[in-house]
Order: sequence, then structure tokens, then C-alpha cells
Amino acid sequence: MSEAFLKLKGIKKSFGGVQALKGVELEVKRGEIHALAGENGCGKSTLIKIISGVHDATEGEVFVEGKKVGKIQPIDAIHMGIQVIYQDFAVFPNLSVAENIAMNKSLLIGAKRMKWKEAKKIAVEAMDQIGAHMDPDLPVERLSVANKQMVAICRAIITDAKLLILDEPTTALTAKEVHKLNEVLRRLKEKGMAVVIVNHKLDEIYAIADTLTVLRNGETVAHGMIEEFDRERFIKALTGRSISEEYYRPEASDEEILRVEDYTRNGAFQKVCFSMNKGDVLGITGLLGSGRGEIGDALFGLAPAQGGTVWLNGEQIKINSVSEAMKAGIGYVPEDRLTQGLFLDRSIQDNTVAASIPKYLHRGRLDYTEMYRVTEDWIEKIGCNAPSPEPNIRTLSGGNAQKMVIAKWLNTDPKLLILNGPTVGVDVGSKSDIHAILHELAGKGVGVIVISDDLSELIQNCNKIVIMKNGRSSGMIRAEELDETQLAGLLSGSEEAEHEQ
Amino acid sequence: MEKMKKSIKNADKNITALLGIAILIFVAMGILAPKSFLGITNLQGMCIQFAEFGVLAFGMMLAMISGGIDLSLVGIANFASIAGAAVMIKLGSSNASIIAGVLAALAVGGICGLFNGFMIGYLRIPPMLVTLCGLQLFTGLGLVVTKGPALTDLPPAFNMIAGGTVALIPIAVIVFALVVLGVSFLLRSSVYGQHVRFMGTNATASRYSGIQNLKITMMTYGISGILGGVGGILMASHYNSAKSDYGSSYTLLTLLIVVLGGTNPDGGRGKVAGVTLSIIVLQLVSSAFNILRINAFIKTFVWGMILLAVMVSMKLLENKKERRSQ
Amino acid sequence: MNSKIKNTLASNEAIVVYIIIGLSLLIGIVNHSFFSVSTVVTLSRAILVTLTFAICEMIVIISGGIDVSFPAVASICMYATLKIALAFNIDNVFVVFLIAAVIGLMFGTLNAVLIAIFRLPPLIATLGVSSVANGATLAFLGTNVISNIPDKIDAVSRMYLFTFTTKDGMSFSLTILILIPIAVCLLAFFMLKFTMLGRGIYAVGGDANAARIAGFNVKKIQFIVYMSAGSIAGIASIAYMILMRQADPSVLMGSEMMVIAAVVMGGTRITGGHGSVLGTVFGVILIALVQNNLIMLGVPTHFQTFVVGLIIVIGTSITSLRAKKISNSAKV
Repeated sequence: MSEAFLKLKGIKKSFGGVQALKGVELEVKRGEIHALAGENGCGKSTLIKIISGVHDATEGEVFVEGKKVGKIQPIDAIHMGIQVIYQDFAVFPNLSVAENIAMNKSLLIGAKRMKWKEAKKIAVEAMDQIGAHMDPDLPVERLSVANKQMVAICRAIITDAKLLILDEPTTALTAKEVHKLNEVLRRLKEKGMAVVIVNHKLDEIYAIADTLTVLRNGETVAHGMIEEFDRERFIKALTGRSISEEYYRPEASDEEILRVEDYTRNGAFQKVCFSMNKGDVLGITGLLGSGRGEIGDALFGLAPAQGGTVWLNGEQIKINSVSEAMKAGIGYVPEDRLTQGLFLDRSIQDNTVAASIPKYLHRGRLDYTEMYRVTEDWIEKIGCNAPSPEPNIRTLSGGNAQKMVIAKWLNTDPKLLILNGPTVGVDVGSKSDIHAILHELAGKGVGVIVISDDLSELIQNCNKIVIMKNGRSSGMIRAEELDETQLAGLLSGSEEAEHEQ
Repeated sequence: MEKMKKSIKNADKNITALLGIAILIFVAMGILAPKSFLGITNLQGMCIQFAEFGVLAFGMMLAMISGGIDLSLVGIANFASIAGAAVMIKLGSSNASIIAGVLAALAVGGICGLFNGFMIGYLRIPPMLVTLCGLQLFTGLGLVVTKGPALTDLPPAFNMIAGGTVALIPIAVIVFALVVLGVSFLLRSSVYGQHVRFMGTNATASRYSGIQNLKITMMTYGISGILGGVGGILMASHYNSAKSDYGSSYTLLTLLIVVLGGTNPDGGRGKVAGVTLSIIVLQLVSSAFNILRINAFIKTFVWGMILLAVMVSMKLLENKKERRSQ
Repeated sequence: MNSKIKNTLASNEAIVVYIIIGLSLLIGIVNHSFFSVSTVVTLSRAILVTLTFAICEMIVIISGGIDVSFPAVASICMYATLKIALAFNIDNVFVVFLIAAVIGLMFGTLNAVLIAIFRLPPLIATLGVSSVANGATLAFLGTNVISNIPDKIDAVSRMYLFTFTTKDGMSFSLTILILIPIAVCLLAFFMLKFTMLGRGIYAVGGDANAARIAGFNVKKIQFIVYMSAGSIAGIASIAYMILMRQADPSVLMGSEMMVIAAVVMGGTRITGGHGSVLGTVFGVILIALVQNNLIMLGVPTHFQTFVVGLIIVIGTSITSLRAKKISNSAKV
């Protein structure tokens, strides 16, 4: 069992002139769960694509079961027993559970006929193996995200997979579902399968992994048994910095700018209350499905709340649509930058003024010079690394693009700015820039709400934190009273307690 | 900056190419058949024709910029012209009656468009399906009014819209020019114009930016419907009658014009200048065919070929650009 | 098990069947002669070609595309084949079918190249091909209706599966050509349900990217779909020619509307990935019933296009809204 199933030596990969991987070492043994950790943009996805045969490495060697592997195609990787489960699972929403599970195997053996009975049998067996229970005749579009993932896992294991790679498997799962997934992965491990999970959440890695490899900027910076890593070492390896000791602790103010009472939307959250004063940065956190994101959607009118009251700057406001929210002075930086935040293929200028076009109507005509000037201003003010307002927003890095999404809202002069996952996929430098911008805003009296699952971000950058659990709020906690471990305990501990009930 | 320059160059390339083709046809025809091609009658005739489908093409363009398509334009045009004709026949032959008829046609066109917009924006049914069904529905409504044969006996003065001239310029061209100015003002200088482009680029992001997609969709198809009404008026005035199956070849033609004019079939992008030029080019080709006495059906064949050739070369250019940027 | 029966009873196919039954009862009450073998014979004749087209269209839509070129392709197949047959004195039914199928295949291949290789939007690509085919027919082949069909081919129009004579001496005969749509339906059913190719068509329509990752050859599947749609359109066109005993180069134009409407009403989602042969058969029957029997219900002729349009709008809205409801419903 000690021989490594997969071994990578000095893997390098460049695209055009850009070096994505600069020397990766990775060793995965049978019967272990190996965590591949790294911040966004560290080269994790490129590495997976090399292992699964989508890309070729520019340099370096890949060994599978001790044998050196040359240039391979995705189908060769599958034949060697390597299966990847991507973030979107790549399942067929219109086909049944049984068919989805059985399809890969049929394709692998080059079947010409579709045998329904056999497919069902295979599916039930696969589900038994991992302890999943689903109606094999149900179309996959009716399944929850967690069950879709189970379908993807079943599909992978029936092809006699020896190595299972899961790309960020927990991003869309609730705590209970993560728990269940971990059980399934342990079962597979006991059967001798090698499992690689790509993740960057410390607690989840500690909960499941046996061994750890940390990537940073395309290089392996640390690896070893999980026990060898305490939190501090792990974070340092991950970010390249020690844990920051800087915290946002504004002077207390009595001037209340936002009060939310008994905020309720059926099926999402109930009777949520919180308030913030001038200078506060309020954090809202919770596990997926706890209602944390839904509060943001409701306050911005995307999915309006059904009950409760909201006061903004002392005035009671009603939010039943996005336009009402905007009229009240609320801005929203959404969670998914690429699909919800940006207009790809449009210029930086277009992206900056997208939410405030009516402002530029002078004497019945839109003033483009003004738009250009304003965008130039924002690029400078917000510290975006862009030459001019003209280039396509696609040319910007994640961090710079995110700054422009924030600029889009600042350009509407918001009284309240809600940011859902403001630094997802943002490099370290831009991350601290964005935090500084938020603190500055709060200082000017703009209400800033940060919705996030990045606990260290919240502790360091918010002075008040609301924890959501099953759609209910914990009430406000002062950030200085907690550290990250305690906060994590508050989030998941109570969930598990409920799970046991 | 480099890329921006390149994209300006590319956009201009499209327009320059169209302009080049137009001049080429003019010169070639001027040599081949100077008398018939450059004669006033031919020029005026051309103008009346391109005004009809040109106006419809702008409706198609707006729908396409919004990320959809409007296949019901011809149906709307015919139904609107029938409604207008019915009003005029009822009110008799006076100027007031013509104005009432025109207004009725525009109103009917607008309502048909709003119906499309409602189905697309509110019920979220794919635009292609909605407007394909709409075509059948509006054509059917037209038939209900006419009971089959064309509505004739329109006021003689109504014929002036297509046939009349002001200082040698056909009134139809003036109408067309007004539409061009109107649409280009809308797209360039109005809030709606920016919003519809944002929605066409990414409907989710536009919702998250506070743009009211339903309102923009309703407006887009409403305006498209009104333009359908304008097209209908021009057609009725041209034929001096209104019928449910006039202009059935225009659907393909407008689609061809819009794509040829550089509008992105996936939505978000489109230039009035490009579309206007492509209308003129297609009319020149069409007139050249007529004068050279080429079988009219070859036109259908050639339209199809041009549409496919343009789309394929656009895709090839796009691929090349992508490969270069990688 | 109970929920399965419930699901079947609330499926799209079932709803179309309810509407068909309701409409038939309505027509039957107004006109008692409706419930007779003759109705079945007339209806089968009416749906013969539409059904063949509809099955092809359904497969194309399931694969995530759309084809509006088949009326034009069928027209050129029919007209060109007859011209060839007349020019070379070909008087053999099978050869004629074969020629038409080959011409159709060529246009289908053109569609496939444009959509699979050049990645044009299917609607625009097939609209362009439609224009090319239609223009070519009328410009290069002619515009006249040809009625002098070679004898042996023409004779097929008088070959019947069975003949039914009513009490008052009227006889109704079911043409042998009905075997074509029946064969196409059965083939499509087995292909879609029991072959990996068929499942691949659903997979591509459901999520083309996932299909590629899973190992389907997406381009190959698209080629097969459009090419077979083209050649079957050719075969159907000859059936139509024999049935009508003439070749009219423009009579089929515009029929795409009805065919797409029938397919969508039968529960095929226009966005791809869903659809069944049975549903399409019912959809075609429903539209044919409406088209052929509105007069019996006292609807004036000039109202028919509108009424059919209204039914299509309502029908497609219902199926679209149902699909949306399913995707928004609670997940398990």
C-alpha cells in the first residue's frame, strides 16, 4: 500500500508566455485522502487538467502506479483509472439518475445499445457502494446539488476508478451535505481508492484529509501528513504570509444607519434582526443554505422579503424590486462575478457606468465624454491596474475586475453597499486594497455589509458579525470577542448538534 | 489600448467593406446599364423598395441586440397595414382618415410587439418560439379582418406615402431616414439604448445592475412592432392594398441585412450605420438583378448564399482572433 | 408506483391526449359522422408527411438545434428527382426514393457542416440553407407544377393497405405510403430509446459540454442528426408527390411552422434534451384535427389561421411554462 498511485515530478506548464505551473511535486497513495490546497489562481485547475489528460505538461514527469506516463488523452486517463469530478459535475439534467451513472461505462466499453435494466442495476449497485439512496428513474434536474454530486461520484466509481479527484467539492454544499460527502469519501478510501480533494477551506481539510499538498503561485510549497500542519503553518504556506494581526476597529458611533427587524422570506430566513451604526462594517456569515446569501438578495430586491421592516438612515424603506432598492440607495456586489457582476466583452467604461446610465442623460442625450472621465476617475481612485477606460473588461485580472464591479456601485452613490463574497478569486494584493476601500467607505458613513464564508476576512475586516444558522440570525457579535476557531465552532458546532438531534 | 484600436479597426472594416461593395455595384452598373440603372425612375423605385424592408430590418436589429430575434415582423406589418386599411376604408377618403389609418396601423403594430415582449420577458418563453408563433397568430388575425382577399379601395392620397416625392426625394425615403435617425438616437443617446445593449450582453448581470429586463424587453419588441407597423404602411401604400401574405420573403432578407450589417446574433452589439449600409447594398444587388433581367428567384438563392458566407467568415475571423489572443 | 401512474397521467403526452379526446368529442357531437373509419383514413392521409417531418424535427430539437430548412429541402428533392426521373426515363419507385434521399442528404450535410463545424446558430444556418434550396429550385429547376409522373411511380398512389366501404357505398382506402411515417416513427423510437446514439442525442441536447467530457463525439452526433433529417425529408417529399400526384415546387414552403408547433406541443422542449416520439405523434394528430375540422365546428375559413395560431401560442406557452415550473420546483 505504500507505493504511490500517482506521482508528479517537477511539473511545469506555460500558456503562451505565462507560466501557470513552475514546478509541482505531488504524490498520492492508495487508500488515502489527499488535500490539494491553494488560493485561487495558484494553478490547481491547470494541474488537474494535466493529470486528467486535457493539457500536456511543458516539463516534468507523471508516474501512474510507478510507470512513467507519456502524452495522454482524457480517455487514456480514464482507462488508467483516473476520474475527475468537476465543479459543475458535468451531469445530464435531462436524463435519469440511472442513465447518468451508467453512461460513462457504456461509452468506455464502446457499447452501441442502451440496456435500461442493466443501467438500473449498475446504478443501484454504485449507490449502495457509497450509501446513497436516490430513485434511479428520477431526472437529474430534479436533484439537489449534493445529490447531483453523488450521481457524479457514482458515475466515476463504476468505471473501476483508482484515483478520484474532486475539484472544490464543497463550495455548494450545506454542512450536513459536507458531512455526508466526507462519509462517502472515507468509504471509498477504505476500499483502497486514492482520493484527491481540491479545497482551500482549512476546517474542511482538517476534517477529512490524511495528507496535504499546498500550492502557491504554481509551485508546491509544502506537503506532508496533515498532523504536521497546525493552523499557523498551514495558513502561512497557503498565503505566504503570517496571520495578519491587523483588525478593523472603528471608533464607536451612536448614529444608526441601518436597522433590519424581523426580516423574513419563507424557505430562506426568518425573523432576522441586525443594525449598524456609522463606521461599522457588518459581516454576515453562515454555512451554505443558512440564508446568508439570501439576505443580500432580499435587501437588493432580487428575491424580496415577505415580512419585516428595514430602516435606512432613519427612514423606513420598502424593497420589493431591484429598482426600489436602488432608489433607496442600496448597491449589491454579487457572488458570481463572471455571470452576475460583469459584462464580459464590454469595455471597462461600460462596466463602470452600467448601473448609473440615467445619470448621464443631459438635455435628452447621453454624455459619453462624462462617462469616460468618470471611469478614468474611478480607475485611479479605486486603484485598478488599467491603462484607460477603453479595454475589454476581460483583460483585467480577477482582483482588478472586482474593483471595477465595486466602482460600478460606488458610482451610484450608495447609502448601503452589500458585498457577497467580495474577495472570491481575488489575489492577495487586491484583496487588501478592497478591504481598505470598504473601511474608507464605512468611515464616510456608507453602510457596508460583507457576506462571506471566509472567516479570517470577516474577523479582520468587520467589527460586527451576524451568524446565520438554518435561516435564523444569532444576533450580533462583536468581532473582537472571537477568533477564527471560535467562529468556525459557532458555525458548524451548532449545525452538528442539530444534525444529531 | 492595442486591442481597442484593433476592435475599432475591425468594426470599421465591416462598414468600409459594405461601402466598397456599394460603390463597386454603382460603378459596375453605371457602366453596364447606365441609362436604366442611374435613371431617376430606377433610383426612386429602389428607394421605395428598400424603405419597406429597411424599416423592418431595424426592428429585427433591435430584437437581436436585446439577445432575441423577431420572426413575426412581416406578420405584424401585414396585420397592421390591414388594420390601418380597414380604418381608412371605413372613414372614407379624407386626410383625417389617412391619419387615423396610419395611427391605427402603428398602434396595432405596437400592441403586437408588446404581446411578443410580454411572452418573452414575463413568461420567459424563448424569443424564437414566441415570434414564430406570433407570425402565425398575426397573419391569422389579418385574415380574420380581410376574410382572404386583399383590402383595396384605399384613399388615393394614401398612395402618396410610397409614390410621392418631395423635391425629387421619395417620401418613403424620408420615412426611412426618420426611422434611421430615430433608431440611432435611441441606441446612441438614450438610456434605453445602453440598457438594451447591457441586457443583450448578459441578462443576469443587467438584472444585478438594476436594469429592468422586463421593461427593456417589452420596449424592444414594442418598438420593433411599431417599426413593423411603419413597414406595413409603406407596403400597403406601395401596393395600394393590404393583404395577409405580402412581403413573405422579407423575414430572411431582414435577418440577412442585420447580420451583414455587423449585428451580433448572440446579442449586445449592432451598429445603425452598418445596418443602413447593408440595406443599401442589398437593394443595389436586387436592382442590378432586375435590370440585368436575372430570374428573380436567383435572388432568394443568392441571399441565402450571402447570409451563410457572411456568417461563416465572421466565425472564422472570430476563431482566428481567439487563437491569436491565446 | 402510485406516483409513477400519477406522473404518466400528468405528462405532456397525456395532456395532449386529453385535448385530442375533448376535441374529438366536441366535433363528434356537432357532426356524428366524425366517429368512423373514414375519419381515421382521412386523418392518416393528412398527417402522413407532416408526421415524417415532425419526427425529424423532433430529433433535431432534442439534440439542441432547430431545422427550418426541411420544407425547402423537401421541395428541391421532390422537384429535382422528378425532373431527373423524367429526363432519364426512370420509372422505378425505389430508385426515385433513393435519388431524393441522396439529394436530401447533401443538404443535410450542408446544415451539419454549418452548425457542427462552423458553429453557426442553427436557426440562422438552416434559414440560409432554406433560402438557397428554395431559390435554387425556383430559379434553376422551374416554377411550374409537373403532373406527368411516370406510370409505375404514379401507380403507387393507388396501392392501398386496405379499403373500407361505407353503407352508402362511399369507399375509403388507406394508402400504402402510410408505412413510411410508421417506419420512421418506429425507427426513431428504437434509436432514441435503445441505442447509445439515441441517448447521445439526448445528452448533447441536455448539456453539450458534459457530453463532450463524458466521451460523446458531439460533432458526429450532430452530423448524423442533420444528415438523416435531410434524407428523410427527401423520402417524405416523394411520398407527398405520389400522394398529390404532382410536384409543386412551392407547396411545402411554410409548413415548418406547423411542424415545429406540433413537435413543441407534443412535449419536446425547444431548448433541447427532451421529447418523445409518442408525444410528437399526438402533437401532429392534434394539429391535423384542428386544421381539418374547424369547418365542422362552424369556424369560418378565414378564422382558421388565427385559431390554429392561437392554439399553438397557448400550447407552446403551456409546455414552456411547465418546463420552467419543473426547473424551479423543489429538489430532492
